[in-house]
Amino acid sequence: MEIHAYEKLWLALALVLIVGFIGTITYGAAGAGIDMIDDKGGTVDPATLDQHPKFGDPGIERNGENSYDVYVVARQFVFEPGTTEPLRVPAGSTVTFHVTAADVIHGFEVVGTNANTMAIPGQVAEFTVEFGEPGEYGMLCNEYCGSGHHVMEGKIVVMEQEEFDSWYDQQQAQGEAEN
Amino acid sequence: MATASGGGGEFVDKFPDEAAIIKASFLIAFVSLGIGAFFGLVQALHRTNVLRVIDSADYYTMLTGHGVLLAIVFTIFFLCGVFHWAVARSLDRPAESALFSWAWVGLMTTGAVLATIAILGGFVPNLGMSADVLFTFYAPLQAHPIFYIGLAMFIVGTWLSGADWFLSYRAWRKDHPDERIPLQTFMVLTTMIMWYISTLGVAVSVVFFLIPWSLGLIESVNPLLTRTLFWYFGHPIVYFWLMPAYLLWYTVLPKLAGGRLFSDPLARVVFLLFLLLSTPVGIHHQYLDPGIAEGFKFIAMTNTMFLLLPSLLTAFTVVASVEHGARQRGGEGYLRWLGALPWRDPAFTGMALAGAMFAAGGFSGMINAGMNINYLIHNTLWVPGHFHLTVGTAVALTMMAGSYWLVPQVTGTKLYSRPIGLLQVIMWFVGMVFMSNAMHRAGLAGIPRRTAEPQYQNFEFLTPIGSIFELRVQIALGGTLLFLSVVLFLFNILLTSLGEESDRPVDSYLPEPLSGPEGSPRILDNLAMWTGIAAVLVVLAYTLPLAGIIQNGGGLFGGGLPVPATVSAGFDLVMTTVTSAFNTLWGVVA
Amino acid sequence: MAVDSTAEGAASSAARTSTDGGVPANADSQGDSGQADPPVDSIVGTADDGIVRELGHDDFDPVGTLVIVLIYMAILIGMWVFMYFVEFLGRGLTVVG
Repeated sequence: MEIHAYEKLWLALALVLIVGFIGTITYGAAGAGIDMIDDKGGTVDPATLDQHPKFGDPGIERNGENSYDVYVVARQFVFEPGTTEPLRVPAGSTVTFHVTAADVIHGFEVVGTNANTMAIPGQVAEFTVEFGEPGEYGMLCNEYCGSGHHVMEGKIVVMEQEEFDSWYDQQQAQGEAEN
Repeated sequence: MATASGGGGEFVDKFPDEAAIIKASFLIAFVSLGIGAFFGLVQALHRTNVLRVIDSADYYTMLTGHGVLLAIVFTIFFLCGVFHWAVARSLDRPAESALFSWAWVGLMTTGAVLATIAILGGFVPNLGMSADVLFTFYAPLQAHPIFYIGLAMFIVGTWLSGADWFLSYRAWRKDHPDERIPLQTFMVLTTMIMWYISTLGVAVSVVFFLIPWSLGLIESVNPLLTRTLFWYFGHPIVYFWLMPAYLLWYTVLPKLAGGRLFSDPLARVVFLLFLLLSTPVGIHHQYLDPGIAEGFKFIAMTNTMFLLLPSLLTAFTVVASVEHGARQRGGEGYLRWLGALPWRDPAFTGMALAGAMFAAGGFSGMINAGMNINYLIHNTLWVPGHFHLTVGTAVALTMMAGSYWLVPQVTGTKLYSRPIGLLQVIMWFVGMVFMSNAMHRAGLAGIPRRTAEPQYQNFEFLTPIGSIFELRVQIALGGTLLFLSVVLFLFNILLTSLGEESDRPVDSYLPEPLSGPEGSPRILDNLAMWTGIAAVLVVLAYTLPLAGIIQNGGGLFGGGLPVPATVSAGFDLVMTTVTSAFNTLWGVVA
Repeated sequence: MAVDSTAEGAASSAARTSTDGGVPANADSQGDSGQADPPVDSIVGTADDGIVRELGHDDFDPVGTLVIVLIYMAILIGMWVFMYFVEFLGRGLTVVG
């Protein structure tokens, strides 16, 4: 089978390009430390989400120095927390999100950032991000989830540490009072 | 070789029954194109807030119609017409049974009509019938059962169409035991084998999960499982759209440029690579899905990147074939030869512009395929920006441009107007430049896809260059130009079909390749072997992820429900059917 | 003459080959009709009427194609580097675990 010399050259360059792409992505994963959403979040029964120890009352929990877990439930057409009240996190913290869906498939996107995942009933998307300076982020549902999909949005407020601490302690006290 | 030189004149004179099938397929394709494009116009104006004639809730009904009518009905009916033409012409024999051909046209049409009725039912609130589930119909969003039933009938229809072409091939093989498979037939057969393998996923999803579930026979489904089965089929369908465009680029575009195909063997290699690699990559649509381990995503990513190879090879071979035409027409220089091409011919110009757009779409596809960089653009407007360059231009514009050359062959009438045709293809190109570049940039600003009203209360989208307003204007303007382009196209084709018969409606002669198949290894034509390898690759790529999804995601039906006995018997039935279908296919191929 | 792989059987191939030497191959091959019809310009697919020289397999080096695909590859690499290292890695909030 005869292949023109120029086409052989192109074939070789194309292979180099492909290997280069795979190399860049591998660097992103191994060198820059970007982790993929995967199966580490485990599964949850969407029918009994209300009784779940974490997703039954979703929100933020401190799990160490500067380190937090956030549980988020996506349902038609709200994020809990996020929509009716903002999701609050302290500045300079490491936050692990656990996102699931109660009814249909949703998306969870922090606008203008790389924090982006699918929310699938029965599955928990677990991922960790680092928040920097105080400020605000928008969040939205980026997977069509029904006739009100376009109103499904929310807000993340990154607060100063002291401000956050007093809000958090107040939440904890309220929670204990209710129990 | 010219169909005309066979002695019987044009295709329509030589193969009147086939021409009738092709005309019927094209007719349904073009009607769907008209309706789908109209929905697209309404959406482009609605989501940019330029003109709002519908409720935002109805936007999703239209979007479902737009996706299904254009990406499934238009593309697949058109490619069935092209494949029917290509097989009859390259084997130089009619189909084995015209009745059988009408059977698949009929079944596909019935399926398409049923699904469309279910979708349009969404506009009539009291009807109790809707299918606002978009093109991907992810459960647990649920459509009316006739949507899924129509879809299943449509897919079975495409299986029968493939059988039609395999039967033609088998009959031809009896008379020509030692010849190489003619290139166009080779392309059709490899594409159809890929289609058989990949549609198994959606068939299982629809027949064994979604139809029983929508009828209330089973209570729930495993959303990640049906989603994964969709994407098992959802990426190869991309190549099912693209392969007829490649067939036209390889076998017709060189002729339209005044040249000859640069290399027949490489064209075969390219189609085989698509057969092997199209299916074991579907997980790249699920990079951000929980419940699938990172390792499987990495495997899908590497397979996807190697899938660039056949497209990059195609870029070289097709451009070289076009360059050959330009040089034969007197072109000189490194790039000046481009001026010697027949730019006034809408069939040539449309396909050339479609190819140029595909080069750009190839780039945004590389970003989509790039596993971790996918975080940047996942489910943003970037993604529809990408596929309006690929299926929306590389495929759709090639099909429209190809129609200017193909339709006269099956009607026997001359194209009504070449200048209008030329204006139409250029308008499509310009409209898509506006719309698609704005969609890509909007995606980088985080604007989501599939959303009626991306105007939120809590935040504003920011774009580093230009403004969000400017992006909206570009999308609305581009969408309007694209719709007008479709109107011109349909008008031109309608008047063509009503025109007077001509002795020479079109120049249908196809020259032979510069480098023919005779020097290439015969193993390229061993379809049974390639089918086997493709099946093995699919098994390797999908067995473990599917097992994990079923095991961890609450079983086959989600929610931890026990598997009903009737359905698990049904599952055995699938396996038997699948195995016997494969054996039959194998028998025909070998 | 090479076997015609895009096309049909040997019989028509032979018929065609006989006229293949001519330059505007296809105008002749269409028989007597073509001439009297309206200008060829109204017919799609007539680019081969404008052929001024036949280039065989050995007379043709696709140097223009090489130039185009190399330019394309340079654009691809440049855009990839920009998208990956500036747009993507340069953003706040990236999934690190």
